[in-house]
Amino acid sequence: MELIIGGAYQGKREYAKRRFSVEEGRIFTCREDGEIDFSSRCIDRIEEFTLWCVRNDADPAELFRAHRDQWRGSVLICTDIFCGVVPLEAEARAWREATARLCAYLSGEAAGVTRMFCGLAQKLK
Amino acid sequence: MNVLISGGCKNGKSTFARNIALRLAGDGKRYYVATMIPCDDEDRARIARHVADRAGLGFETLELGRKVERCLELADPGATFLVDSVTALLLNEMYPGGHGAGVDPDAVDRCAAGLLKVAAGAGNAVFVSDYIYSDAVRYDSFTEKYRADLAFVDKALANVCDVVIEVCAGNVLVHKGEWEP
Repeated sequence: MELIIGGAYQGKREYAKRRFSVEEGRIFTCREDGEIDFSSRCIDRIEEFTLWCVRNDADPAELFRAHRDQWRGSVLICTDIFCGVVPLEAEARAWREATARLCAYLSGEAAGVTRMFCGLAQKLK
Repeated sequence: MNVLISGGCKNGKSTFARNIALRLAGDGKRYYVATMIPCDDEDRARIARHVADRAGLGFETLELGRKVERCLELADPGATFLVDSVTALLLNEMYPGGHGAGVDPDAVDRCAAGLLKVAAGAGNAVFVSDYIYSDAVRYDSFTEKYRADLAFVDKALANVCDVVIEVCAGNVLVHKGEWEP
């Protein structure tokens, strides 16, 4: 599995397509509705899935762990929403921490971790 | 040479950018392209302090809140230009009639084009931007569009700059090219 993280609009999805030959049609884009296809070639906007999890008392890292066999060879993309100021709102705090914990778990599982910055790739692992 | 510097706020970007500009300029002319348009006395006092800070360093200040590429006509284009900041420039370009007036949807393209002209035409250019992309906040659609637009300009600059640097809590990460601190 390859993990791509970085800020919003930094070119993560474009990099996944370019570097790992992911076709647009094979990318599952998460929304706030909790739907996810763990067996997709690529899963983008995982931070939207974690927001649904937080709102529905689910642990995203547990859910990913339970489906590990399905995404082991995939490209996973998540925005690093956990770098800013601690939010005042409880839900945003929980979202931020759940996303950070999931990314830490996925980083451990990943063969490679890349952080995007202004369209440039920085190899973290 | 062109250099893009970004990172979080108040962690040394401007000072670092100034030092890079000084090194690139050597004995040559150096200009500080100030893009912030002051809105109140607090802004004006801050700007006055910054001007005084730079005075001993030989920077001449060009105040260009919009159409930043004019710096190449107002000054010797072969000189070194420090553009601080991309963030303020984009905001000003969004309101060509002044803050509070209507938003110009073409601002992002005009802003990027102007900055790319500076990069192409200047002897050296150092651009300072702000990294505002990694927090857990659901922004209103206007702010979200501003973030997307600033990222577009940042990526366009990163693409043409020889060196791209992130300043993180005073530390320096080189994302593109080489730079010896």
